[in-house]
Amino acid sequence: MSEMTHGHGHEHGHEHGDRTPVRRSELGLCAFLLVLGGLVCVDALRIPDDFTRRGPVGPEAVPMLVGGLLVLVSVLLAVDVLRGGRGQAEAGEDIDPDTPADWRTVAMLLAAFLANVALIGPLGFPIAMAVLFWGSVYALGSRDMVRDPLLAAGLSLLTWFVFDRLLGVPLPGGPLMGVL
Amino acid sequence: MDAFTHLLDGFGTALTPAHLAFAAIGVILGTAIGVLPGIGPAMAVALLLPVTYGLDSTAAFIMFAGIYYGGMFGGSTTSILLNTPGESAAVVTAIEGNPMARSGRGPQALAAAAIGHFVGGMVGTTALVLLAPAVASVAVDIGAPDYFAIMVLAFVAVTSVLGASRLRGLASLLLGLTLGLVGLDQMTGQSRLTFGTLHLSDGIDVVLVAVGLFAVGEALWVAAHLRHGGSSPIPVGRPWLSRDDLRRTWKPWLRGPLIGFPFGAVPAGGAEIPTFLSYATEKRLSKHRDEFGKGAIEGVAGPESTASASAAGTMVTMLTLGLPTTAVAAVMLAAFQQYGIQPGPLLFQRETDLVWGLIASLFVGTVLLLLINLPLAPVWAKLLRIPRPYLYGGILFFASVGAYAVGGDPVDLVVLLLIGLLGFAMRRFGLPVLPAILGVILGPGAELQMRRALQISDGSLTGLVNSPLAVAVYAVVAVLLAWPLARRLVRAARR
Amino acid sequence: MRQPRAWLAALGAALLVTCVPPLVSGGDDRTTGTAIPGLRVLVPNAPGGGYDLTARTAVKAMEEAGLSKNIEVFNLPGAGGTVGLGRIVGERGNGRLAMSMGLGVVGSVHTNRSPSTLADTTPVARLIEESDIVVVGKNSPYRTIQDLIRAWSARPRSVPVGGGSSPGGPDHLAPMLMARAAGVPPRQVNYVPFDGGGELTASILGGKVGFGMTGVGETRDQIAAGELRPLAVTGARRVPGIDAPTLKEAGLNVEFTNWRGIVAPPGLSDRDRDRMVALWTELQRTEQWQKALRDNGWTPAFLPGDRFRAFIAAENGRVASVLKELGLA
Repeated sequence: MSEMTHGHGHEHGHEHGDRTPVRRSELGLCAFLLVLGGLVCVDALRIPDDFTRRGPVGPEAVPMLVGGLLVLVSVLLAVDVLRGGRGQAEAGEDIDPDTPADWRTVAMLLAAFLANVALIGPLGFPIAMAVLFWGSVYALGSRDMVRDPLLAAGLSLLTWFVFDRLLGVPLPGGPLMGVL
Repeated sequence: MDAFTHLLDGFGTALTPAHLAFAAIGVILGTAIGVLPGIGPAMAVALLLPVTYGLDSTAAFIMFAGIYYGGMFGGSTTSILLNTPGESAAVVTAIEGNPMARSGRGPQALAAAAIGHFVGGMVGTTALVLLAPAVASVAVDIGAPDYFAIMVLAFVAVTSVLGASRLRGLASLLLGLTLGLVGLDQMTGQSRLTFGTLHLSDGIDVVLVAVGLFAVGEALWVAAHLRHGGSSPIPVGRPWLSRDDLRRTWKPWLRGPLIGFPFGAVPAGGAEIPTFLSYATEKRLSKHRDEFGKGAIEGVAGPESTASASAAGTMVTMLTLGLPTTAVAAVMLAAFQQYGIQPGPLLFQRETDLVWGLIASLFVGTVLLLLINLPLAPVWAKLLRIPRPYLYGGILFFASVGAYAVGGDPVDLVVLLLIGLLGFAMRRFGLPVLPAILGVILGPGAELQMRRALQISDGSLTGLVNSPLAVAVYAVVAVLLAWPLARRLVRAARR
Repeated sequence: MRQPRAWLAALGAALLVTCVPPLVSGGDDRTTGTAIPGLRVLVPNAPGGGYDLTARTAVKAMEEAGLSKNIEVFNLPGAGGTVGLGRIVGERGNGRLAMSMGLGVVGSVHTNRSPSTLADTTPVARLIEESDIVVVGKNSPYRTIQDLIRAWSARPRSVPVGGGSSPGGPDHLAPMLMARAAGVPPRQVNYVPFDGGGELTASILGGKVGFGMTGVGETRDQIAAGELRPLAVTGARRVPGIDAPTLKEAGLNVEFTNWRGIVAPPGLSDRDRDRMVALWTELQRTEQWQKALRDNGWTPAFLPGDRFRAFIAAENGRVASVLKELGLA
């Protein structure tokens, strides 16, 4: 604990290059924390206090503390960022953090996920989940137009079968349930 | 040795071919279902309850024991391989286990988990045999002030996981605490941060948070920065633990039960907090501290052994006091009642054969689990050789099934995605994920116990320190906090 | 070009996911006797909870007695049962769905300000009831209910009462009603909620709370072992095997029992409704259910159809008045 220095991420910052956009998005993070802190506090103040209560600590105390600390941390972090502190983006086996973000892939992935959310009610689990799987492997660069849809359908059906039929966890089967 | 002769009789019951077969079926079914997303051990036992209808009570409970231990283990397999914890006790395992699997040490991670489970289970169950009555009488003396003190200790002990930048670690912790606030306040029933929806009123499950931050966040982050070209399939590597691995893991395996068993046995303990404490302890004691976060085998061995021993501890309170301390224990209690058996102080006298048969089968199940899963470790690890799009597509699929299957509500998928986006942003800005998880686990419990203690004392602050255990724990906290300071002073004085 | 094959694959996949689920789940739709094919029972709390136990026990008895086959029990926990209630109310006209519920859901509707209420459902039957019990640890200074009431009336705030349900639940309502009868203002009652039975029983055993109020079943074995001392039961009659007076006998004019029952979605056709009520009525006659009642220590309290509706309305009024007084509804 003692050997750690207090929060200046100087060693992480890239010395050159696109400083301003990076700094702008880091300040965006601070703004997010600030807004979240404010939201938590406002929500806590909204809790009515006309019910029976015991003790000095009511249901609003801890949220106020957490919200207040969020605001404080957002300010400290903003000061740190303006002094040049920078968060270190996480690297990994499959990840090259030095490349610019590929927003197209992310958007496609999100679309596949949201399609699942929208479809799972009306069209049922097997269809929606197959869309999710095919959509995400397509987004991530797989272009085998024969294997992918069949694999998605198989995986989705197998999962549905295990949960709904074998284990008795009900999952919506689709629009043709009870028709065929 | 009364317990010893009873235990021998118990083995006589458990080792008959039929009962052995039921134990094996239970372990296999439990592991298989524990691997499925969204189905933790409690659901597994509940879902498999009908399978045991028609069996006599001893056979049924031997099978339950197998399902329970198998389910606990199945959760960690997905944690290691897919970064999607199957249940809350396996959340910590993902932190080191998944990086290990990614760097081709999947079989070692799985083996460390399997043996950790075995050691934790054996030591924990032995403690159950030897200490059950003593532990039970101590367990009921622990009250809200003690729990709060222990949670303060846990907070202090794991600040070391905050990461390189204290400020960003703190921000992450606060994000976790905020997620933990969502839901109805348990003491007064007032809603907090639910935005008027009933779906959020039970709060956000810690497994959902972990899966969102780990798996969905990771998939999105990979999508944004996929290393193009030249990404070779993940190597599978040697299948067994090397001598060096063993040298690094035997101590964490043995330390696990020391932390896990007591937490499992006390009514508000559970497995989440001890696994975190075990992780923090192993990190502190390890000679390879720099490897933590990148795949340190101690960080798998310790928490897994802890989780397993905590499961044994849970059995103590359930069998001797009839008190369910976890959801699984609650389901098993319900199952006992189905057979017209009332667990409680009189169970050991009334149902001697059944109880000792059950305890013996816990040993048997632990051994079976190891025999079945150790050879499977390299097989499972081959799963990672599938091409990247399928791997991450599969992880998203798996995570969505888990979030949706239990409640059957698309709102859970939206919550999962939002937490996933948070995980994405945290990776982008270098906020460590671990403190957020810690906040979700510890925050609500700490608040609840503190306020309960204050309410019992009718608002007097002495309610927080009116038990010897609480005072002792605060003393340990004080020493922990003062230690670095004292060390610096000593060093300065020497100079 | 692989284009045609790609289209074929996509078409094949689409056909598979739409047609296979209905085909593999084609069950027998024959309606014979009491059977309701494809009946599903929703449990609005987690596995191992009270409604779960009731539902699974009842379904098991039905299947063993051959009343109906392949009944599916599933859990949809959330917000003290009101998430499940919302689902039931949303499944208007579905004659193959039922929900296990009880007094706790009545309170949750108020405390959670749930948009759906039990008045929106089709009440099927009340099945069982269970008296609450006033218990203290064996080392407690209170030896009789009178001792306790005396101390409690004098200084209500310093005698915390522990219960196993969140505010609005049965274990919360019981001490409030008892307080009213004893002349203690409910707002003065220091109710400490615990999560389920485990932590609560430990707190009573360890003397962390002044006394506890919870279901008889959760304390029965501890009482038999002499670890807990029963002071009174809250129901109209004494409970066999428990040596304690009713609150009425102790001079407190209050009667309280926790109960569990079954409701169905609104808007059922008369035929569907009658069939549902008939199935649960038939259950009462089975040997399997009678045995399950004994094994679990449940008191049968069968009340079908419209009489159950009237009962729910009355309970709702009583719960609402207590919660209003506490500012919780």
